[in-house]
Amino acid sequence: MPLPLYYNWRNLVRRRMSTALTFVVVAVVVFVLSALLAFAAGISASLAATGSSRNILVLKPGATAESTSLLVPDEVARLHQTPGVARDADGNLLLSQELCIQTSIPRREQHGALANVAVRGVDEVAFKVHPEIQWVEGRMFRPGAMEVVVGEAARDRYANLELGGTIELGRLANRSFTVVGIFEAAGGALESEIWGPRTLFVDAYGRYFNSSVALRLAENADAEEAIKYINGPAVELEAKRETDYYKDLSTKTREIVILAVVLVGIMGIGAVFAVANTMFAAVDGRRREIAMLRTIGFGRTAILTAFLIESTLICTVACSLGLAASLFLNGSRQDFLSDTTWTVLAYELRVTPGIAASALIVALFVGVIGAVAPAVRASRIRVIEALRKA
Amino acid sequence: MFFRMLRLIYLYKNLTRNILRTILTCAAVALPITIFVLSTSVIDGIQGFLDNSAKQLRLAVTHRASVVNPLPYGYRAKIESLDPTRTRLLSVCGMRWIGGKIENDPRPLSTLAADHDTFAATFPEQGLTDEEIELFKRDRQAILVGPSTAGEFRWKVGDRINFRPSVPPYHPLEFHVVCTSEFPNKDPVTNFCRLDYFEEELKRTAPEWGNPEGMQPTGWVSFFFVKCATRADLDYFRVAIDDLFANSPDETKTQDEKTFINEFINQLFNLPRNLTILAIVTIFVAIMAAANTMSMNLRDRMNEVAVLKSVGFPGAQIFTLVQTESLILCAIGGVLGAAAPYIAFNHTPLKDFTVPLIQHLDVRWFVCLKSLMIALVVGVLAAAWPAIAAARMTVIGALRALE
Repeated sequence: MPLPLYYNWRNLVRRRMSTALTFVVVAVVVFVLSALLAFAAGISASLAATGSSRNILVLKPGATAESTSLLVPDEVARLHQTPGVARDADGNLLLSQELCIQTSIPRREQHGALANVAVRGVDEVAFKVHPEIQWVEGRMFRPGAMEVVVGEAARDRYANLELGGTIELGRLANRSFTVVGIFEAAGGALESEIWGPRTLFVDAYGRYFNSSVALRLAENADAEEAIKYINGPAVELEAKRETDYYKDLSTKTREIVILAVVLVGIMGIGAVFAVANTMFAAVDGRRREIAMLRTIGFGRTAILTAFLIESTLICTVACSLGLAASLFLNGSRQDFLSDTTWTVLAYELRVTPGIAASALIVALFVGVIGAVAPAVRASRIRVIEALRKA
Repeated sequence: MFFRMLRLIYLYKNLTRNILRTILTCAAVALPITIFVLSTSVIDGIQGFLDNSAKQLRLAVTHRASVVNPLPYGYRAKIESLDPTRTRLLSVCGMRWIGGKIENDPRPLSTLAADHDTFAATFPEQGLTDEEIELFKRDRQAILVGPSTAGEFRWKVGDRINFRPSVPPYHPLEFHVVCTSEFPNKDPVTNFCRLDYFEEELKRTAPEWGNPEGMQPTGWVSFFFVKCATRADLDYFRVAIDDLFANSPDETKTQDEKTFINEFINQLFNLPRNLTILAIVTIFVAIMAAANTMSMNLRDRMNEVAVLKSVGFPGAQIFTLVQTESLILCAIGGVLGAAAPYIAFNHTPLKDFTVPLIQHLDVRWFVCLKSLMIALVVGVLAAAWPAIAAARMTVIGALRALE
């Protein structure tokens, strides 16, 4: 017959101090784990939400990112024959020529440290090629006007990008553009960017070329065929699915996950020791009580499980506290500089169900491993001896 | 003397009375200290890199609008004209970022094309020998490879290597490796090739990569590095260079190199700040673990403390006893926690472990010493509450609390 849960609970409350201290240790470990993973999850989620599998991104062969790619008008013209490209209601090809540049904008916090924010020059067709762009505030820029629109993440993270703000762009930073709209892009990387009229940017930056071309394929078109065509001798450019391009950028998150695993591994082992310490003390302090329980008929397994339950109880409650603390980070905006594109990606920290699950697994692991040895010791207490000693 | 001996014996007995608890506590303190040592080493590595930049008395000249906007190469002569005697402004080196990628290899390279005539003088921490400088000046295709990059790709001096720049002309260029050696404070990943070779290739292949009309493919650099003779000169030229180009089409922003590099580091996850937070959190864990043990120890020995008090030991002495016990515990944990990463990263294969940004993880002895000090502080803090409780305990109360 197992011992009632109430018994475990009373025991924990009785030794308030050491329960609380063990509790805090486990809670901190869980917090560090979920905070680190929230960074990785935020970046992955942002990059995974970017791009559409129906879109194809075309770069110059050899260029590693949009920002270092250079396509001349002649090369763009060759793309018009690509099989499977969709057309809008007016029969225009959904082919978006884009110019990627960067500008330094101070962050809103941290004493205004400068960040390299991506600026994308686009034509009207871009909003049909990237239908995930939705207006949150304001409106689209008018072609030919000195106006830009800004992603939600960029507005939150960098100074002067709110509706009505102005930024200086151009190679000499002498053209003043007004922010007339704020957009969201399903939480994707495009939300970290500033978009404006391509033709004006071409002039302002003296860059008479495009960085990349995004093509939207018709619903049933074969993406592989289009990619093969573009990579082939007819066009001789490099095509990728848009989703693949952004997936490649997320390699950085792997480093964070590795860091999280190593750190939390070390801290977790430390927590195991702390838990084991507490549980050994609990067992030693209750030798007589355990002997008594054995005498009145509770089996070894009942004693063993009672201690395991006690420790997992501490750890699961601590886990929920650690997770609750990390929820405060949920949604806070961070950014990082990609070493491929040299632009910052602003993202939201995300404490996902997956993170909660892994935190729970770590907490249970700590609880069970830490309690195994003390619980075994408790179950092996020799009844007569323990009773006599008292 | 006798009593002091007795006290030591009592301490020793207390620590060995529950050997398992002592070991577990030491381990629970040692592991956070290890994390502390590692994160402090990373922060120190970054700081050391920055300090070296500051020591070099170099200015970084970039475009005022944005780091990525190019500057006209002609600015070099104009900057040099600020001090024709070359006594205060020692050398000017223009650089252009070309990145690089080997065919069918996903690993990106970090390569800069630099002025070959002034490179060695501007960057003495590259530690080039006279022979290497001579080779770099004589061979147009020469490239100085960062030591850890050379190790990763198994390149050695004399090799002919090919890679594609990540910028125009995008087609593979051939380089001759002239230096792969290490040197203190040298950036171990970045490669340097010659700007004139790169520009020549750029011009030659302009029709191939489709140089757009109205664009001058050559004659641009990403930044200039200016080496000054003294700190006063550094401050003078920082202003003088920006003044020189004020109201020109391409205004400049001149910063000392440390500020320039710091801007990049802060954009990379704000590493120094976040690591500091992590280090503090782990120390907090260590305090909790040690405090737990000390309060358990005290509870187990409640009757002993009562007896000590009843035979006349003053509260202060009991306070010291508890504190010393905790100090010893944490000192053992601290020594283990600090020694493990020191040995691992200095005397085992882990020595070659690289971390992003600072590359070599240098675990220095004084970082370990600092961590040991912190472990002692942890000991004091952890025992504070139990020690005060023990010192204040009244004999009657303690004896009554016993069963």
